[in-house]
Amino acid sequence: MAFTTAKPLAHLVRADFPILQQQINGKPLVYLDNAATSQKPTAVLEALRSYYELDNANVHRGVHTLSSRATDAYEGARDKVAAFVNAASRQEIIYTRNASEAINLVAYAWGMNTLQAGDEIILTVMEHHSNLIPWQFVAQRTGAVLKFVELTETEEFDFEQYLSLLSDKTKLVSVVHVSNTLGCINPVKEITAAAHRYGARVLIDACQSAPHIPLDVQDIDCDWLVASGHKMCAPTGIGFLYGKLALLRAMPPFLGGGEMIADVFLDQATYADLPHKFEAGTPAIAEAIGLGAAIDYLSAIGMDKIANYEHELTAYLFERLAEIPEVRIYGPRPKADGSGRAALASFTAGDVHPHDLSTILDQAGVAIRAGHHCTQPLHRYLKVQSTARASLYFYNTREEIDVFIQALKEAVEFFGTLFG
Amino acid sequence: MSLDNLRDLYQQVILERYKKPRYRGKTDPVDRYQKGHNPSCGDTIELTVHLNEAGDRIEDVRFEGEGCAIAMASADLMAEAMRGRSVEEALGMIQRFQNMMQGKDEFPHEFRKLNVMQGVSQFPVRIKCATLTWHTLRAALEAATPQPAGFVSNE
Ligand SMILES: Cc1ncc(COP(=O)(O)O)c(C=O)c1O
Repeated sequence: MAFTTAKPLAHLVRADFPILQQQINGKPLVYLDNAATSQKPTAVLEALRSYYELDNANVHRGVHTLSSRATDAYEGARDKVAAFVNAASRQEIIYTRNASEAINLVAYAWGMNTLQAGDEIILTVMEHHSNLIPWQFVAQRTGAVLKFVELTETEEFDFEQYLSLLSDKTKLVSVVHVSNTLGCINPVKEITAAAHRYGARVLIDACQSAPHIPLDVQDIDCDWLVASGHKMCAPTGIGFLYGKLALLRAMPPFLGGGEMIADVFLDQATYADLPHKFEAGTPAIAEAIGLGAAIDYLSAIGMDKIANYEHELTAYLFERLAEIPEVRIYGPRPKADGSGRAALASFTAGDVHPHDLSTILDQAGVAIRAGHHCTQPLHRYLKVQSTARASLYFYNTREEIDVFIQALKEAVEFFGTLFG
Repeated sequence: MSLDNLRDLYQQVILERYKKPRYRGKTDPVDRYQKGHNPSCGDTIELTVHLNEAGDRIEDVRFEGEGCAIAMASADLMAEAMRGRSVEEALGMIQRFQNMMQGKDEFPHEFRKLNVMQGVSQFPVRIKCATLTWHTLRAALEAATPQPAGFVSNE
């Protein structure tokens, strides 16, 4: 393992995350539940504080100075999101509460109004419940049919099977970019190109890619892309929908209320232009500004650098996990340099149930997730009831992986010896 | 690692019952059937109960399902303790178990085996694991029909 001689990235950024400097059960916290949510750097916490201390006012509603400052900061953050995913226009970025709300927006505003009985929606068996349930709603209401891409031997997106599902009936392909359970990176550019050949729309769930790798919506050419701020150093309560301008224009509004209108009469109304057409009511102003600060923070480090450092961590994580024969990891192996998959591992450890494992690791200060990670159908497909998941971010260190592996070994042993 | 804490939680009896449960399976006949589910982790339990002719005494309880050591041991110990109890007694024990999880009660000598579950009360996030089977039994006993629709959710 060739670690660069320069200081690892984590050592440079660690001090930016106050929450990481604490002890849990008498041990230094080792936070390995980043796929669930990330920690927040001081820069983001400061942005929230300074907004509330200096600029707090409602947006787009006043001519006074504070309102104008709040509006500028809120809209300025939208520019940052647009640049972060390389959108062609800031009007293509709609703030939502999270990725789930963004998917529901498309499901209701587009799916419910566009799809008809017999139309087909292609999803995968690895989708997060957030990218499954809204389409079940659409299918139930419209009579559209859900089809599912399955997995290859290596537990990745089966592209050949995907091609065989595509037809003139396909109206939507909605897939996760990076699986929060398998860690596989789906070929979204190729998936999109193939779907477009049949005139189908494509939605990409970028929840687990946006925080970790550079994103370019124009290069992918997807029709929509969604992500949650809280997984990328931003506060909870803010996420976004990217959509191609013409498509968003053609979609009717989702929620009604203030902010999203142009001209209102008692019996009818006209709607605001994009992006405000889809942002009814007072938005999560501070959180949006926090998202802007998070993007500034990530961009200052560089998404390439984050991705490369996470490859190193991935290679080391998999190398160390291989020392424990009881461990069975789901999803594809990384390449030798640690690339080719996300910096997470969902696994089982012999007789030790993931829940018990998580409790035991917590005693060692190590936070991991146990359960189905909101991918119950995937677990059913893999014939495993639940898994444990360690998921890393750029502030995690090799030393933390060592602590995790040591605790994991002890847990397996603890159960093992008692069983005899 | 603070193994002492963990030894409180994972007492020998709990680990033994997890590995070698004594009451796994289905009762014959099945007078009550109830499914329980812990949606946050996916743990499931299927209880079957054999009642006496009058329907007021438990002859046998068996469980199937998948879950962690705490959930499975709790089910096995519960099944053991319930044999021969009147339905009324059983409902009282279910309440007592819940109180024990709050750290407010424990079982008398006759049922002292159940007290090994007391350690769970020190791990609040794991209480749901221990109580799932007890909630499920309550629903089974309170049901008017042998096979009620739906399942007990532990959220
Ligand atoms: C792949 C994926 N999609 C969707 C979501 C849903 O995100 P949120 O709960 O923030 O809407 C998550 C996170 O839980 C995820 O990992």
